[in-house]
Amino acid sequence: MKLLTHNLLSSHVRGVGPRGFPLRLQATEVRINPVEFNPDFVARMIPKLHLVEVPKGPIEGYEHDEKFLRQMHHVLLEVDVLEGTLQCPESGRLFPISRGIPNMLLSDEETET
Amino acid sequence: MLKKLKSAERLFLLIKKQFPLNVSSVSKGKIFNEMQRLVNDDPESWLSAISIWKNLLELDAKEDKLSQRDANPLKRKVEENDIINPKKLKTKQMQELQESRECQLEKQTDEATVEQGDFLTNREKSQEAFQNDAVKAVAAPNQKDLTFRVSCRCSGSVAKTFTAQEVGRVIGIALMKQFGWKADLRNPNLEIFIHLNDIYSVVGIPVFRVPLASRAYIKTAGLRSTIAWAMASLAEIKAGAFVLDPMCGLGTILLEAAKEWPDVYYVGADVSDSQLLGACDNLKAAGLQDKIELLKVSVIELPLPSESVDIIISDIPFGKKFKLGKDIKNILQEMERVLRVGGTIVLLLSEDHHRRLQDCERGGIPWNSKGSHTDEPGIEKCLNPGEKTDLSDTVSSSAETSGQGDLDKMPPFGSLVPVDRYGVSLGRTGAFICRYRKSPSSAASRLAAVSRFQSSQGSCTALKAVVSGSR
Repeated sequence: MKLLTHNLLSSHVRGVGPRGFPLRLQATEVRINPVEFNPDFVARMIPKLHLVEVPKGPIEGYEHDEKFLRQMHHVLLEVDVLEGTLQCPESGRLFPISRGIPNMLLSDEETET
Repeated sequence: MLKKLKSAERLFLLIKKQFPLNVSSVSKGKIFNEMQRLVNDDPESWLSAISIWKNLLELDAKEDKLSQRDANPLKRKVEENDIINPKKLKTKQMQELQESRECQLEKQTDEATVEQGDFLTNREKSQEAFQNDAVKAVAAPNQKDLTFRVSCRCSGSVAKTFTAQEVGRVIGIALMKQFGWKADLRNPNLEIFIHLNDIYSVVGIPVFRVPLASRAYIKTAGLRSTIAWAMASLAEIKAGAFVLDPMCGLGTILLEAAKEWPDVYYVGADVSDSQLLGACDNLKAAGLQDKIELLKVSVIELPLPSESVDIIISDIPFGKKFKLGKDIKNILQEMERVLRVGGTIVLLLSEDHHRRLQDCERGGIPWNSKGSHTDEPGIEKCLNPGEKTDLSDTVSSSAETSGQGDLDKMPPFGSLVPVDRYGVSLGRTGAFICRYRKSPSSAASRLAAVSRFQSSQGSCTALKAVVSGSR
């Protein structure tokens, strides 16, 4: 699971709503994969992110800030969590990540009506 | 280059196309003669088709070597071809995706790569051009050494009188006599396809040994690659989009899409471990594991914020084979929630699913009804998408008391507006590719309708204040 994906997931446990974001990530096995840098693609992904922390420095003009884009590229696309857990910040429910795939299936009781 | 034709099942060089064989009152022997004439009347057209075929194969082999080089003129021609075919598909041939396709090829090749003239399968080619090709054919392995096999398909009235084997044999013998080729049923150089039915008699040779639909980059196919590609192209994928397949299975749709539109963020989801493992394998085999992310989630509970996805493409499992736990309505509901306004959904629906959805559309039954809170989702969207606040409860309950009769006649799909649909064949069964777009307007129009009702009740001011205050 790439960190870009982690950023786009939110908890769907019943009653949690918008408080289910962001999921707390605990990684036990991580791999760094080199991925071809595509500044356009990274620039387009950034507005989709729900940034909890604002990066230092001005955000305007980030599309042309290659250093910033490369940093984001590395963090979002090159870090792959192979094993770990995601935790709903509100309910505490844990979702395991195994072989790079997060398992977020809920049991019947946990699902929203 | 030809392999860039992604929604064609197979590609043939046409040798002959003519009126259907008349089988009604004529003796069987005479009809056999007719068939032989397909071969004997015009041997040049056969030979020229074969030389074109050889040239195409050589061209293809050379292209694989030249793929690194910048061959701009070739690329331009590829685009032409690509444009022609998708258009044909959209206008009239979506239904024929399954059938073997015969294409008349007109190509111009770049002098820098291959020195050849125009290819035309048309019989009115000039003698000169024919001589050219015939000369080149000689340069290639001698045509007399060709081994061949005849594949025959008969339907309609022809099929009532002849079996495919009989026809195949007749043609085969004629070919051996005319050209001196040898028959090889196991591993021939050349395959000859004959299709006889009530509409036409067609003879052609497949350009590639393996059907176009069989992709080099897909290890294990789930959905037909041609349909998967067609769905992806209908979805209007643009660079930087977030594309989701919430029932991805082995990931065929995402693979086809990622191959063609690479600068996009793809996510596939499935509930089945075995499918996800297969998908993972497929991604690695295709080298696309960096482009496509996988999740083990259920399509009716997507762990995604509302309105966060740009495009959803999905093959809805056909009821009999897969155990579909929930209704298709619930599935569409969740898809609608995560889709952003203006986003596109492309679905492959079985005839059953499609009929069910059509009934909803016509009957005006809101498919996203949740018992008494019929238009709650719509109003929710006006206020704050994704948040269930107390305000929305108040609003919806007051809407209920004022009478829902008229509201029920609103577009029943919530904000999903059907754009178009195409009937396709999956071989034994048929299905529909349906495209929807999420419109912003229905939220506003629902609001207007509610206000209209409220005005007669006198609680209009309260409602308007609630809505305008939250904007």
